[in-house]
Amino acid sequence: MTAHDWGSLADDAAATVLIDSALSVADGAAEFADVRLIEGEELRLYSQLGADPDERREHTMGIGVRVLVDGTWGFAARPVQDARDAETAARQALATARASIGTSAPVHLAPMAAASGRYETEVAIDPFAVDASVRQALLDEVLANATRPAEVVAAQAGVNAKRQHRHVGNSEGSRQHQHFLETGAGLLANAVGHGDVQRRSYPNSFHGNTAAAGWEYIATLDLANQAIRVGEEAVALLTAPMAPAGNADVVIGAQQVSLQIHESSGHALELDRILGDEANYAGTSFLSVEDIGSRRYGSDAVTITSDPTIPGTRGSFAFDDEGTPARRTRLIDRGILAATLSNRDAAGRSGQQLTGAARSDGWAYLPVCFATHVYLEPGQGSLDELLERMGDGYYIDDNRSWSIDNRRWNFQFGTEVAYEVRAGKRGRLLKNFSYGGITPEFWGSVEAVAGPEELRIFGYPCGKGEPKQWGFLSHAAAPMLVRNLRIGVA
Amino acid sequence: MSTFAPPLDPARALEVAQRAVRDCPADAVEVTVLGRAGEYTRFAGDRIHQPQDITELTVSVKAIVNGHAARAATTSLDRVAETARAAADLARGRAAAAGAPGHATVGTPGPLPELSLWHEDTAAFDAGARVALAGRAMRGGAEVGGVAAGMIGRALTQIAVATSSGTAVHAEATEASGSLTVSVDGGTAHWVDLHRSSDALRAGDAIDAAVRRALAGRGRMPMPDGEFTVVLGPQAAGELLGFLPDVGFSGELAAAGVGVCTDPGARRASELITVGDDALAPVGLPIPFDFEGTPKQRVPFLQTGVVGRPVTDLATAAALGETVNGGRSTGHAHIAREEVPSPVAANIVMPAGPTPEADLIAGVERGVYVERFWYTRLVDRQASTITGVSRDACFLIEDGELAAPVDTGRFTQSVLGFLGSVDGVGDQVRSQPVMNVWNGSVSAPALRGSGFRFGNRPLPDGQDS
Repeated sequence: MTAHDWGSLADDAAATVLIDSALSVADGAAEFADVRLIEGEELRLYSQLGADPDERREHTMGIGVRVLVDGTWGFAARPVQDARDAETAARQALATARASIGTSAPVHLAPMAAASGRYETEVAIDPFAVDASVRQALLDEVLANATRPAEVVAAQAGVNAKRQHRHVGNSEGSRQHQHFLETGAGLLANAVGHGDVQRRSYPNSFHGNTAAAGWEYIATLDLANQAIRVGEEAVALLTAPMAPAGNADVVIGAQQVSLQIHESSGHALELDRILGDEANYAGTSFLSVEDIGSRRYGSDAVTITSDPTIPGTRGSFAFDDEGTPARRTRLIDRGILAATLSNRDAAGRSGQQLTGAARSDGWAYLPVCFATHVYLEPGQGSLDELLERMGDGYYIDDNRSWSIDNRRWNFQFGTEVAYEVRAGKRGRLLKNFSYGGITPEFWGSVEAVAGPEELRIFGYPCGKGEPKQWGFLSHAAAPMLVRNLRIGVA
Repeated sequence: MSTFAPPLDPARALEVAQRAVRDCPADAVEVTVLGRAGEYTRFAGDRIHQPQDITELTVSVKAIVNGHAARAATTSLDRVAETARAAADLARGRAAAAGAPGHATVGTPGPLPELSLWHEDTAAFDAGARVALAGRAMRGGAEVGGVAAGMIGRALTQIAVATSSGTAVHAEATEASGSLTVSVDGGTAHWVDLHRSSDALRAGDAIDAAVRRALAGRGRMPMPDGEFTVVLGPQAAGELLGFLPDVGFSGELAAAGVGVCTDPGARRASELITVGDDALAPVGLPIPFDFEGTPKQRVPFLQTGVVGRPVTDLATAAALGETVNGGRSTGHAHIAREEVPSPVAANIVMPAGPTPEADLIAGVERGVYVERFWYTRLVDRQASTITGVSRDACFLIEDGELAAPVDTGRFTQSVLGFLGSVDGVGDQVRSQPVMNVWNGSVSAPALRGSGFRFGNRPLPDGQDS
C-alpha cells in the first residue's frame, strides 16, 4: 500500500498548476527554469531519562524557483500561502540572477531529455496513523530496559516519521511527482562511573536509523530487547580495558563501514566538491576530474555503487531534485574510480556523466550533490568467517567520533565498541578504540568484504551547502577486513 | 526588488501567535513564530553559483495538558488554528497515556533587555553590494593565480512568542555575514565573520587580507608532530570555545550529573579565560529572548578560569532546582531538527584581551600559528578532548615571527587543558556561525597557550608506526 493521501499537495494536477504559474513568469525571461514545490510533514517523539517526553509534528509547504538568465543562476524560495507565492518566488529568482550578470561566468547545463513520471514509497503501516499511545509505550519500554543498570544516567530514545509530496517541473517540459515516506528510530545510553563516561547506541550511532518504509520497519528493529543489551554494554565499557595503539588487522562492523563510506567515499566523490564549489564550507576532494576512469582508490575487494532505484532506502527515488531520472552507477569498480556523484551544473561544466545526485533538503534550498543510496558491494561469507580469516586482531563497530580533513584524505574515527579477536574468536571488550588513515591507502588495505547475508542499510542525515542544509541518504555495508590499520590514534 | 522586510509584519506576527494561543484547547500554550528573510551570494572560482533569496516562516505551538507537552508546527498561516488543535490533541493523548501529571510549563513575562538589533547599513547591503564583494574576492584570487570561494549574505531574523501566561514579545534583527577561502598554489587562507551590522564586517579589507595570507601560505611543509606553544587566531579559538557546552555547560548535562558543571567554583582554566553565553553582548548575534519567550541572561561558563554555571531552559532549570540560577531558565530553550530539544548556548562570547595578535606571536620562540580548525569532534566529554585538523594559513612560529607555512595537521586535544595553559589573549574579537543552532554564534579573540599536541597518540615504546 501507499500512505500519501494527506495534505494540500497530494493532488499532482493541482501541484502542476502552481508549478506552471511559476514557470510562466520565467518564460521568455530565462533560458532555463525549474521549480520545486514541496509539502512535508514530520512526526517525532523523543523520550529522555528524567525529562518529559517531547512529541512534535511539523508541517512545511513552500516553493523554490531556480532560473538561468544570460547563463547566470538565480534562486528564490518562500512558503506557499497562496497561489501568488509561486509567481513571487519566480520574480525574485529572476532578480537575484540579474544582480550577478557580468560578474559570474556562464553556466552550461548537461543536456537532459524531458522526463515525467510519478513515484510513491510502498509501505505496510502508515506511521502517521499509528496511535500516539503505541509510540509512547514502545519508548517507555525501551527507556526502562536501557536504564536498568544504575550507572546508565542519561538515555534517550526516539521514533520519527516523515512524509513528503515533492513536485518538480522545468522549462524543458519535465513534470514529476514523488510521494515519499520514511520511518526511523534510535536509542542512545550513556553510563557514568569509574571516572568515565561511555555510550552505546542502536541501530545507528548517528541520529538512529531511518528507512523509506512504514511503521513495519520499527518492528524489525526489536528495539525493546536491544535496549537491554545497549544499557549493559554501556556499563561494561566503563571498566573495560583501554584499546591499544599500534598497527593491527581489524574487522570493521557494518555501521562503522557505512560511516566510512559516507565520509571518505560519498563526500569525496561529489562532483561539485571536486570542482571546488564547496571549497569554503564543506571542503574539497583529493580526487580530480582527470582521475575518473583510472585512479586506484581501493583494493580489488572495493566496489562502491550508487543506486537510488533500490526501494526501501533513505536514498531511493525515481527522480533527483532537479529531475534527473534515478539510475544505478558504479562509482568505484574493483578499486578503480569509475564515476562521481553529479548534478547537471557540475556535469555540464566538467563534461562528466550525469548520475542524478542533485538533492536538496526541501523547497528552501538549492539542489547540490549529495549521496543517494551509496553502498559497498558485499563479498562472500559470514562475519564469523571474516573473523576467522583475520585470525588475530580486533572487531570494532558503531561510530563514536569522526573527523576527516577538507580533502577527505586524512581521517580519524573512534568506535563505541571493540573486541579483541584471537585465532578468529571474539574475546575481551575494549573501550576508546580509534583508528586513522589516508583514504586511498585505507580502502587499498581492504582484503575482504563479508557476504550479502551480513549487509545492513543505514539512513543518514548529512550537511552541506551555504546556508547549510540536510541531505537524507543511505549507505549499505557488510563488515570488512582491513589489514595493518593504524589504531589507537586518539 | 527585495524589500528586506521580515516575513511577517511585527504586529501581524504577534497577532498570529496570540490567536493561536486562544485557538489551542489546552491548559497552557506557548506559540513561537520564527521568520527569516535571507539573501546569500555564494561564489567559487569565476562563478556566483548560488545566489539565493530565501524567505522562511514557521509557527510552532506547544500545548500542555495536565503537565504534558506536545508541539505542532506549520509554515502555512492558514493552518495555524489546525496546528494549535493538533498540538492540543497530541498533548491530551500524552496526558491520557501517562496517567499522572507531567512537569511541562510555559514561561511568564519578564523585562526584556534593550539591544541594538536593527542596522540600516545591513538593510542597504543588497545583492548589488554583495555581488561587488564576491567579484572583488574572485578577481583578487584570480589576479594572484589562485581561486576564491565564499559566501556574502544578509538576513533578517524574526522571533515572536506568546504564551497563555501573558508573554507577548517580538524581535527582529538584521544580520550580515561573510566567509571566504582563498587558495593559491597550495597556500590557503580563510575569513569568516558575522554581525548585526554589515559595516562591522569590513568585508572588503578582510577579502584583501585573505588573499595576502593565501599568498604567504604557498609552499607549505608538513605539520610536524609534537607538542607546541600555539597562537590560535580568533576563528580557531572560537571553534575550541564552541565545545564548552558539550563538556558540561548545558543544563541537560548538568542535570544528568555529567561534565564540568558538576564542580562549580573549581578552577579549570587560566585566569585569563572569561567566557560565557552572552546574548546581550554587542558582538555575535544578540537577541533578547528564547523560543519560550524567556529573557536572555548572561551565563558565565568560566570566570577568570573558574567554573560558572550551565545554560538552561524551563525544563532543565526545573530539573536542576534552586541551586542553579535559582531554578530559573537562563533563556536558552532550543529545538533543532533531528535532535532532542535541549538548552543551547547560542551566543558564546569571550571578550578581547589587551594584546595584539602580533605580540602574542612575538612572545613565542618556537610554535605554531593556527588560523582555522576543521571537522572538530568531541572524543571524550569527561576529559573535554576533541579531535580535528588545522587548516588554512597555518605557520610555524620561530623566534617570535611567522615562519614556514604548514599543511593540515591532525590534533587531539583537551579543550580545558588548553584553556588552562593560556597566557595571552588577543585584542580583536571575531564571530563565526554555529551549525545547527538557530541564531547561533561564537565570538573569540586570539589565544596563546602551550602543550597543544599535533599528530597521533604516541605509540608504546618499541613500536613503529
